[in-house]
Amino acid sequence: MPAIIEFRNVRFAYPQRTIFDGLSFGVEEREMIALIGPNGAGKTTLLKIVCGLLRSTSGTVLLQGRGLESWSRRELSCYAALVPQHLDVPFAFRVEELVAQGRVPHLRRFAGPSARDLQVVERAMQAVDILGMRERAYSDLSGGERQRVKIAIGLAQQPKVMLLDEPTQHLDLGRQIELMALLRTLNRRGITVLAAMHDLALVRENFSSAILLTPDGASFAGPTPEVLRPELLERAFLVARASLSRHVSGESLTHDRGDRIDA
Amino acid sequence: MLLLASVVVSAGLGAVRVPLAAVIGVLLHPANAGDASVILLTIRLPRIIAAGLVGAGLSATGVLFQGLFRNPLADPFVLGASGGAALGGAVAVFLVPSLSIAGFSTTALLAFAGALLTMGVVWSLARAGGKFAIENMLLAGFAIGTMLNAATSALELGKEATNPGVRLLTAWLHGEVSVPSWTQVLIITVAEAAALLLAIPLTRQLNTLSLGEEYAEQLGVRVGRIRILVVAIGSVLTALAVSLGGLIGFVGLLVPHVLRIILGPDHFRLLPAAALCGAFFLIVADTVARTAFAPTEIPVGLLTAFIGGPAFLYLLNQKKRGPSL
Repeated sequence: MPAIIEFRNVRFAYPQRTIFDGLSFGVEEREMIALIGPNGAGKTTLLKIVCGLLRSTSGTVLLQGRGLESWSRRELSCYAALVPQHLDVPFAFRVEELVAQGRVPHLRRFAGPSARDLQVVERAMQAVDILGMRERAYSDLSGGERQRVKIAIGLAQQPKVMLLDEPTQHLDLGRQIELMALLRTLNRRGITVLAAMHDLALVRENFSSAILLTPDGASFAGPTPEVLRPELLERAFLVARASLSRHVSGESLTHDRGDRIDA
Repeated sequence: MLLLASVVVSAGLGAVRVPLAAVIGVLLHPANAGDASVILLTIRLPRIIAAGLVGAGLSATGVLFQGLFRNPLADPFVLGASGGAALGGAVAVFLVPSLSIAGFSTTALLAFAGALLTMGVVWSLARAGGKFAIENMLLAGFAIGTMLNAATSALELGKEATNPGVRLLTAWLHGEVSVPSWTQVLIITVAEAAALLLAIPLTRQLNTLSLGEEYAEQLGVRVGRIRILVVAIGSVLTALAVSLGGLIGFVGLLVPHVLRIILGPDHFRLLPAAALCGAFFLIVADTVARTAFAPTEIPVGLLTAFIGGPAFLYLLNQKKRGPSL
């Protein structure tokens, strides 16, 4: 099967700092792939390159075998949906109004949503189980509810690829497990999932493959067990092997997350 | 309807009271001349329409700027756009008083340039250092606005009080609605209606922009283009409003805020509603301003400042506590 996303020797650099260099990997259709690495290693940057918000400094990025630069903004918005880490809405938009924004790339210029668009919005809300909160203001929702609204906006875009930036951050254990189940369901329905993740135990349990970005600009991609090897994690997160063990083995989950607070 | 009623009632009130029936009579048969009809047709009615145009323009600009800056505090007066327009207009009044280009007086054109330039400067100051910060924008708007108003005042210095330019400027600085000629009324009405019509297609994109500039971009909105169009249209509306009423503050803040509570935050509905209610609000406010202490008139700008100032502080406080508005 051809790669749905392919990076060939991609480099991204700000004027003062190179984020990554020589990054190569391929994501196959319907794959569920985790993007891991320490803060600042370029996880968000990589996601933004895929959805066209940032341009790589050099190298080739192919979507569906086609160079990223030949995709129009609108085509790209219908193909890849970014679910950002933070979504801050200054006005009291209702949940259904926000989810309808996912239809924007599909609308004709100056036109409002059609009956079909509204149907897609309805299905998106149903898929993440937020029909019951459609009338509520986004600003009044809890962290887990907000996360589901953001995913619904992405679903309303009807994308082939969904890019999620740390979707489980600030969620309590129950909401994290629910969210991962939701992503697996979407994945089974045909959406390719690429998610930046911090929690390696969740990665091990839910993702078939992983891409590891390291602070020195190097990167490793492959099946999850191979990427989550202690020597690679040591290099990526700059910690001693001993303190890594429980993250890699997937045990002592409760100990790990005991101090988290529900957002 | 409410708007029409306010026009009729407001026309009857004033230093010379005209009965309601007579007002309607004059409006329906303007040919029947009389003292009352002279007062109504040459003074009161143009002023009422001017007040309506000012209120509509400022409120619509408020909606546009609040959507663009994603902040309910953005208002042409707060951001310094009104100050820029006033200074531009003042420069025109004193330096090139009698020129006109394509039907527009240099006053209106320089007022537009002033508003546009101010918005550009305030925007880049707010953006300085990479990230856009709303506090920076409000501070920059305040600082620039104060500077511009000082410059406008300075233009008056050394001129005699009877100079018509000085009188116009004083009225602008106080926020007094002028009594335009019917030609002016016509030109400004057409220009304002055109600007509002151009703004309507942008309102849906302003809704998307509420999710953040980057997210909107990800959803296919051309953020750079929208930004330029919104600032340009807002500057036109501000310039038109300032050329009629000078510096009238907080209307563009107050009216959209109340409407957002009633109608919700959808800009597509908010923009026309703000134009209508803004017109209504300022007609009422101006009527109060010119009749409450009759025969002395107080500038309507003073009145809106007394109502709008506390409202601004209230919103600022809300903003600190949480995003829900």
